[in-house]
Amino acid sequence: MDSDIFTFLVGGKAGEGVKKAGSVAAHIFSRIGRHVFQMDDYMSLIRGGHNFSVISTAPRWISSHYMKSNLVINFDKRSCETHKNDIAENGLIVFNSDAQELDNGIGIPLTSEAEKYPMKKLMFGVGAVAILAATIGFEKEDMNQIIKDEYPRGIEDNMTFANKIYDIAYLDCGKKFILEKGDKKRPIITGNEAISLGAIAGGLNVYYGYPMTPASSILHFLAQQAENFGLAVVHAESEIAVINMAIGSTFTGARAMVGTSGGGFALMTEGFSLAGITEAPILVILSQRPGPATGVPTYTEQADLAFALTAGHGDFLRIVASPTTVREAYYLTAEMLDLVWKFQTPGILLTEKHLSESSMTVEIELEKSKSSEPKLYKDGDYKRYLDTDDGISPMLFPPSKKVIKWNSYEHDEFGITTENAEKISFMHDKRNKKIKTLIEYLKGQNTVKIIRGENPSNIFTYGSTYMSVLEALRYGSLNPTTVAPIYLSPLPTWELEEFKNQDNIVIEQSSTSQFTTLLKEKAGLKVKNTIKQYDGRPFDPIELSKKIKEVL
Amino acid sequence: MESLKTDAEITWCPGCGNFGIFTAIRNAILILEQKGIKRENIIMTAGIGCHAKIFDYLNLSGIYSLHGREIATASGFKISNPDLKILVFSGDGSGLGEGLAHTLFAAKRNMDITMILHNNGVYALTTGQFSPLTQEGWKGPSTPKGSFEIPFNPISLMIEAGATFIARGFAGDIKHLTDIIVQGVEHEGFSFIEVLQPAVPYHNWAEYRKQVEYLEKEPKTYFEAIRAAKEKHKFTLGTFYRTTKPVYHKELYGDHNPVLKKLSREKRLEIIKGILKIK
Repeated sequence: MDSDIFTFLVGGKAGEGVKKAGSVAAHIFSRIGRHVFQMDDYMSLIRGGHNFSVISTAPRWISSHYMKSNLVINFDKRSCETHKNDIAENGLIVFNSDAQELDNGIGIPLTSEAEKYPMKKLMFGVGAVAILAATIGFEKEDMNQIIKDEYPRGIEDNMTFANKIYDIAYLDCGKKFILEKGDKKRPIITGNEAISLGAIAGGLNVYYGYPMTPASSILHFLAQQAENFGLAVVHAESEIAVINMAIGSTFTGARAMVGTSGGGFALMTEGFSLAGITEAPILVILSQRPGPATGVPTYTEQADLAFALTAGHGDFLRIVASPTTVREAYYLTAEMLDLVWKFQTPGILLTEKHLSESSMTVEIELEKSKSSEPKLYKDGDYKRYLDTDDGISPMLFPPSKKVIKWNSYEHDEFGITTENAEKISFMHDKRNKKIKTLIEYLKGQNTVKIIRGENPSNIFTYGSTYMSVLEALRYGSLNPTTVAPIYLSPLPTWELEEFKNQDNIVIEQSSTSQFTTLLKEKAGLKVKNTIKQYDGRPFDPIELSKKIKEVL
Repeated sequence: MESLKTDAEITWCPGCGNFGIFTAIRNAILILEQKGIKRENIIMTAGIGCHAKIFDYLNLSGIYSLHGREIATASGFKISNPDLKILVFSGDGSGLGEGLAHTLFAAKRNMDITMILHNNGVYALTTGQFSPLTQEGWKGPSTPKGSFEIPFNPISLMIEAGATFIARGFAGDIKHLTDIIVQGVEHEGFSFIEVLQPAVPYHNWAEYRKQVEYLEKEPKTYFEAIRAAKEKHKFTLGTFYRTTKPVYHKELYGDHNPVLKKLSREKRLEIIKGILKIK
């Protein structure tokens, strides 16, 4: 195990503050200047079950959690059972001694201590924070400050409880782990927060959503921030309403975005196609969870790739891109919002639960987010679907004395319905010109991430799996070339030419290797092996590095 | 002043009730202009069906939407720019079949838009299948033995759902129809106007004219309105319900306007810095 990495895992029932304890722990690590990656594993229920939060931290950039943990805190028996193999060498188990007995750990009477206060079990999370603080030698004063900031309900009780637990834990394992300080404190955000902030930086005006994990937290975050940024944020009656409302809003000149997961996006495809023919600039955030159908709501997968690439009936330009890191999610969301307006076509930011709901320390240069004006009408007669060299017609918004008609039927340049043979093919050609224009534009942009290595094999991956791969390579001291296309439609084949006949390995989270198929079909890539995982869990860097070693 | 008609070829059947609605809406727009509403502030949308062809003929800006989605499109217009006056053309199949949920929710939200429901009691454009408003016993291509579903009562349905202006007009009484469209557009809130509209391949005008009658007086309370909607037959014209309730966009963001009062990029980035606590 990399000696500079420290991993903290806390597990218990939903409603005991597991996730909150995880995020407070992450803040403690970031406060001492370290980098953090936090992954929350939770079930689709409100109370009970088993949830855990795992946070890995290092003085250098870290792009995945590790399942082998140095400190594991279990609130209940089920957590002890579940995580008995997740202990790193020299790792420490702390358990709730009121819930069970265990030979190989340190028991702390969490229940009986918490019962002294009205909030009872709700305080377990605070207890976990106190145990962590004691084991890493975090000063009590600093801990109290953090508890004040992070647990505003019942501050006094929380502090008394935390101090008691801290003292108990300190006797047995005080200062067991000494964490090297990092260089500076960085903000910690989730992927969905990065997406939301990127959209705001990119000029978002309206957001429509219908609750669906793992995209719901975009709706929640933006609803919370609506007033600050002058946004309209609407929870509509269905995903069908969501996309059609968004299209209506773009007609008025508003930058609109919608967010959902696979099932909700299935409902949106009718409207997605409408955006194709009306040339409505719509951005869809599609955060994947395991399918088909309801699938596994609170876990991760990359099996909606093929669906996203072909979503919506008929021929039209779809832009699909997937952020590889939380930080990139900020830039790419702004860039995609910019692109759908530049090219007046629908786009999808494809991501996964693993990026949406994991948290990371980030360094973002806010000003680097893209935001530009679309092609606008200047003078003369106005034709919404004016044929131009690049296929992009100038836009005009109401109120306007010139009539602006967007049409879901095939139409003439003015926007009036047509069934005329010549006009039908003419309008197809007009829209298809945008494909060439887009590819020419993207050739000047950063569309693929390539890290050059020394090993003769290359690794191809995309989306949040990129983070798992980088961490696995670092852990295993492996050095192949890593290639991660950010754009998936159009796939930047011009960047992939050189790898075509080399030794290529693909790593993805789809049981039918959808990404591998895309690379073979579109880029003509020879693929030697595909490493895939489709159990709803993100790759663990240690396990993944072993698998990579086997095929390199 | 530009014509309210485009150059598009009109493809409704000769004698179609849609012509009456087309005339009434143009009259209504001229009256609204006289009352100070600018034409460029009136934006329209339509579903798909015979009713929706009006989109190509009426020289107003808007989106020719999908079958059943016109109310969602219209809500999108209003939410991002509440200064616009929104006209939604809908049909009994589009607005109460495929798009029923959107219609009910727009009423529930008191979305400030005007829905004109062209009720021809049939899926005319797709060759005469029964619609949500077709009387039992209709022998259409999808119900060869006669339909057996009881139709909706659109007026009581809309009262119950929360619409705040509810009226029924007739394509054969253009003056009355013009008048209720003007009132519907002027009303702040969700206005639902059902228009009885014969589709000539399936109905004849004489049948309609024989049955049409007018409400003696406008119901004053919610329960009077429900009672009128339930007791009067479905050829009864007039305003069934009118009330005042907060409109959706004002509840959402007060006097804001998301497209006209956009926050500058500098300001946005400054606030984001605050959220991330970065200097």
